[in-house]
Amino acid sequence: MFKDLNPILHSQLRLAVVSILITVREAEFTYLREKTNATAGNLSVQINKLKEAGYIDVVKSFKDNYPQTICKITPIGITAFEEYVRDLQSYLNIKK
Amino acid sequence: MESEKELTSAEESLQLITRMINQTKRDYRETGISALLWGSVITVCALVTFGNFFWRIKALEYIWLLTIGAVVPQIIISIQESKRRRLKSYTDDLMGGIWISFGMAMFLLSYFTSKDPIPNEASIFMVIYGIPTFATGYSRRFRPMIIGGLACWVFAILSSFSPFPYTMLYTAAAAQLAWFIPGLILRRAYLKAKGQHV
Repeated sequence: MFKDLNPILHSQLRLAVVSILITVREAEFTYLREKTNATAGNLSVQINKLKEAGYIDVVKSFKDNYPQTICKITPIGITAFEEYVRDLQSYLNIKK
Repeated sequence: MESEKELTSAEESLQLITRMINQTKRDYRETGISALLWGSVITVCALVTFGNFFWRIKALEYIWLLTIGAVVPQIIISIQESKRRRLKSYTDDLMGGIWISFGMAMFLLSYFTSKDPIPNEASIFMVIYGIPTFATGYSRRFRPMIIGGLACWVFAILSSFSPFPYTMLYTAAAAQLAWFIPGLILRRAYLKAKGQHV
C-alpha cells in the first residue's frame, strides 16, 4: 500500500523531524531530540539522511562555548513534504 | 522514537505530522516581558505627566527619560530570550526589524519634538505606537495586539480633539491596550505552557 510513498519521509523519526522543521524557520538539535524522544546517535543518523537527500540544511556553530547544531528545512524538503502529505491524503481520499 | 521505524498507516503518519506541528507551535511562545515593560513604562510616564500638570513638580518634567532608561533592560531581555530560544520562526527577523525601526522612530521623533514642539504631538506618537503593535498582532494572529494597534489609532484621533494634559490619558490607555494587557495575556500563556513542560 505504501510502496509509492517517499521512503525518506516514511519513517517515524525523519517525518517527525521534518514536521517540526516545516513549522519553524530553524530548530536546534537539542530541541529536535527532546521533542522526538530520540537518542542523539539515532537522531544524528536520521538528520544525516535528510541532509543527504537535500531536505534539510545543518549548520554547526558554537553558542556560549558549547557546540550548537541548527537544522532548517530546504525548498526541496518543503516540496517533498507537501508531496508526501498529498500522497497520504489521496490514500485517505481526503479532498482539499 | 526508533531510528528506522516505518509508519504503518496513512492515519499514523498524519497523526504524527499533526502532533509535531501542534507541539512546535505550542513551544513557540513569547514571554510577554517586553510588552509588560513598555506597557508599564509608557503608562507611568503618561499618567505622571498628566498628574504633574496639576502638581507642578520640576523633577517630574523629566519623567519621559524613563523610556531611555528602559532601553537597557530591554536589550538584556532581548539577549537572554534569544539565547534561550531553540526555535526561530519565519517572522522573527521581520518582527525584530519592525520593532527596531519603531524604537529609532520614537527616539528621533522625541528628539525633534523636544527641539520644536509640534501640534497633536501625542496623536502622532500614538499613530506610530499602533504600527508595530498591529503588525505583530496581524502576523502572529494575536488578536489582543490587533485590537491594541487599532486602539492606538482610535485614541490618536480622539486625542487630537482633546487639550493637554488629557491627551496623556489617551496615551496611557493606548499603552495599556497595545502592550500591557497583551503582555499579561502572553505572560500567563507562557508560564502556563512552561508549567506543563516541567
